[in-house]
Amino acid sequence: MTNKNIKTEGKSISRRSALQLAGATVALTFPGPFISRAHARDVLYVNTWGGPWEEAAQKHLFEPFMKETGVEIKTVSPVSFAKLAAQVKTGVYEFDVTTLGDSDIVRANEAGIIEDASKAPLDQSKLWPGAVFQNGVGSHAFATLISYRKDKFPNGGPQSWADFFNPQKFPGTRCLQRHAGRVLAIALLADGVAPDKLYPMDLDRAFKALERIKPHLRVWWTQGPQSGQLLRDGEVDMIGIWQTYPVRLMREKQPVELVWNQALLDRAYWVVSKGSPRADLAWKFVQSAIRPERISKFALENIYGPLNPKAFEHVSTDDARLMPTSPENIKKVVIQDTSKASDQLQEASKQFERWIGR
Amino acid sequence: MTQGTGIMMQQRAGRRTTWLLLLPVLVFLAVFFLVPLGQVLYFSVMDPTFTLHHYLAFFTDDFYWRVLFGTFRTTAIVTAFSLLLSYPLSYAIVRLGGGFATAMLLIVAMSFWTSFLVRTFAWMVILGNNGPLRAILATMGWTPPPELLFTRFSSTLAMVHLLVPFMVLALYSVMKKIDYTLVRAAISLGATPFEAFRRVFLPLSAPGIVNGCTLVFIMCLGFYVTPVLLGSPREQMIAGLIGTQIEEFLEFGEASATAVILLCVTMTVFAIYNRFVGLDKLWG
Repeated sequence: MTNKNIKTEGKSISRRSALQLAGATVALTFPGPFISRAHARDVLYVNTWGGPWEEAAQKHLFEPFMKETGVEIKTVSPVSFAKLAAQVKTGVYEFDVTTLGDSDIVRANEAGIIEDASKAPLDQSKLWPGAVFQNGVGSHAFATLISYRKDKFPNGGPQSWADFFNPQKFPGTRCLQRHAGRVLAIALLADGVAPDKLYPMDLDRAFKALERIKPHLRVWWTQGPQSGQLLRDGEVDMIGIWQTYPVRLMREKQPVELVWNQALLDRAYWVVSKGSPRADLAWKFVQSAIRPERISKFALENIYGPLNPKAFEHVSTDDARLMPTSPENIKKVVIQDTSKASDQLQEASKQFERWIGR
Repeated sequence: MTQGTGIMMQQRAGRRTTWLLLLPVLVFLAVFFLVPLGQVLYFSVMDPTFTLHHYLAFFTDDFYWRVLFGTFRTTAIVTAFSLLLSYPLSYAIVRLGGGFATAMLLIVAMSFWTSFLVRTFAWMVILGNNGPLRAILATMGWTPPPELLFTRFSSTLAMVHLLVPFMVLALYSVMKKIDYTLVRAAISLGATPFEAFRRVFLPLSAPGIVNGCTLVFIMCLGFYVTPVLLGSPREQMIAGLIGTQIEEFLEFGEASATAVILLCVTMTVFAIYNRFVGLDKLWG
C-alpha cells in the first residue's frame, strides 16, 4: 500500500501535465490531493547542524521525504537551543523540527517548548521500546570513547576510563573535550562509580579523580575536527573523542585504536517546536526520518549509531562494529540519564572552567 | 571688513564640508560601535533590574583577579620581547639603509599583511610533535626533545611574532628622523660609541619605544584566538574568559562586566599615554 503510494507520488509531475492536457472535466473527477498539489508546495523548516551532517540528512532523510510527499524542506542551521525557546515566545517559527541531545531535551521538555509526542500522529507499530524520550523521538547516537596511538602503546593501550586516569600504568599525554557534563561523568566512571549511579554527580569526587591526570592533560579539544587532528598528528597519546574521527583515521590506515568499553553515549532526538503551525507535517517527517532504511543510511554516512534497532537489518556487520548502538557495542556503552543532572550542569560547568585554569 | 566676513564664510563652508565628509564614518561608528558598546554597558548593570553584582563578583573573586593578573603578565612579557627583537632590527634598517633596509621592511610588511589566524596555524605546524623545530632539536642531540605546543612558551612566541611588525614600524618611523650627526658629534667630543648611543640615540628614539610598547601592549591585552589555540590550558587571557562566559554559560551580564573592565584598563593605558605623549602621535 505504502509502496504503491510512493510510486504514484513519484510520477506526480507527469500526472500533473496529463491533468493539464485533459482539462477541467478530468480534474473534477480526480480526488482532492491532486488539486491541492496545484497550489504552492507545502514547506517544512528543519533545523540542522550544517556541514557533513546536513549533507547526509539532505541525501537520506530530506530528499526521500520530499519525493514522497511533495513537501519542500528548507533547512536552517546551526542547531540553537536559544532560538527554539525564543520562537515559542514570539510565535515566529524559523524552524518546525530540530534535533536535541540528551541534556538539552530534558531542559526543553521542562521548559515546555516542544510538542507532546504522546498526542502526535505517530504510527506506534513503527516505534520500538524507549523510542520516545522526554517527548522526543530517538534518531541516532554518538559516543565519547577512548582512542589511542598504537605506535605509543604497541602492547595495547588503556581499555577503560580507569586506565585512562592511571598515568602510572599508561604514561603519556592525554586530551579530553572541554565539556563539563561529559568529562565529569567520565571522571566518575574512572573512579569506579557504576553507570546507573552517575547522576546526580558527586562533583568533589569527579574533580579529585581529574586531579590525577591534570599534569598529563596537554590540551582540551573544543571542535570535533580539531580532536581528530590532535590524534592524527600525534600531539596526544590518548584522547576521549567521538567515534567518527578515530574510525576515519583507521580507514586512512593511521596507527589508531578505539575502545568501545565504557563509551559514553549521547543520543539525539527529533522534536517538534511547540505551537508550530506545521506540527502535523513535522511529525510526518519525524516518522519518515526514523524509518530503518533511511536512518541506517544517514548514520552510515557520518558513522553515527541509529537508535532504531531495526536499522541494523540494513547495515553490514563490518559497519555495525563501528557504530555505538550496534547490538554488540550497545552492551559496552554507558547511557547517560541526564534528567537527574539537569539542575547541576550549569554550576558544574562553571566549576569545571575554573578548575581547568587553576 | 567685507573681505573678512568673506573669509569667515569660506571657512565656515569649508568646515561644513569637512563635517559632511565625516558624516558617513560617524554614522557607521555610532550604529556599529557606540550602540553595541552602550548595550554591553547596559547588560553589565541590568539583570534584569539595576545591579552591580557582576562587578562585585569580578572584584571579590580571586579567579578573575588571577586571570586579569595573568593577562597583564603575559602582555608585559610579550611587549618586552617584541621590543628586544624589534629595536636592533629597526636600528639596523635605519643605519644600514639601501637594499638591506628595503628587504627587511618588505619582510616586516609581508608578515603584517598575513592574517593573524594563518600565522597562528603556521606556528602549530612548526612547533607540533612532528614539526621541524622538534626534529632539529632531536638531531642536535636533545632526545627526546621537549613538547613545545600548548605551553606558555608557544603562545608567547607566537604573540611576539604577531606583534613585532607593529613595534618595528613604530620604532622605524621615529629612528628614521633622528639626525645621526648628533651621535657623530658626541663621538668626536670623546664619547665611546656605546656611550654616544646610550646618551644620544637612545633618548632620541624614546618616543618610538613608548609608541610601539603602547600599541603592542593594548593589542596584546585583547588577544583571544592565539592563546586559545597555542597556549597551555591553564593560561587564560581575559578575552578568552569573556568568550567562555558567553558561549558556555550564556552569562551575558557577567561577560559584559568583564568586557567593560577590560575596556577600562585599555582606556587607562591610553589615558596615561595621552597625558605624557599625546594620542595623535600613536600612529607615527
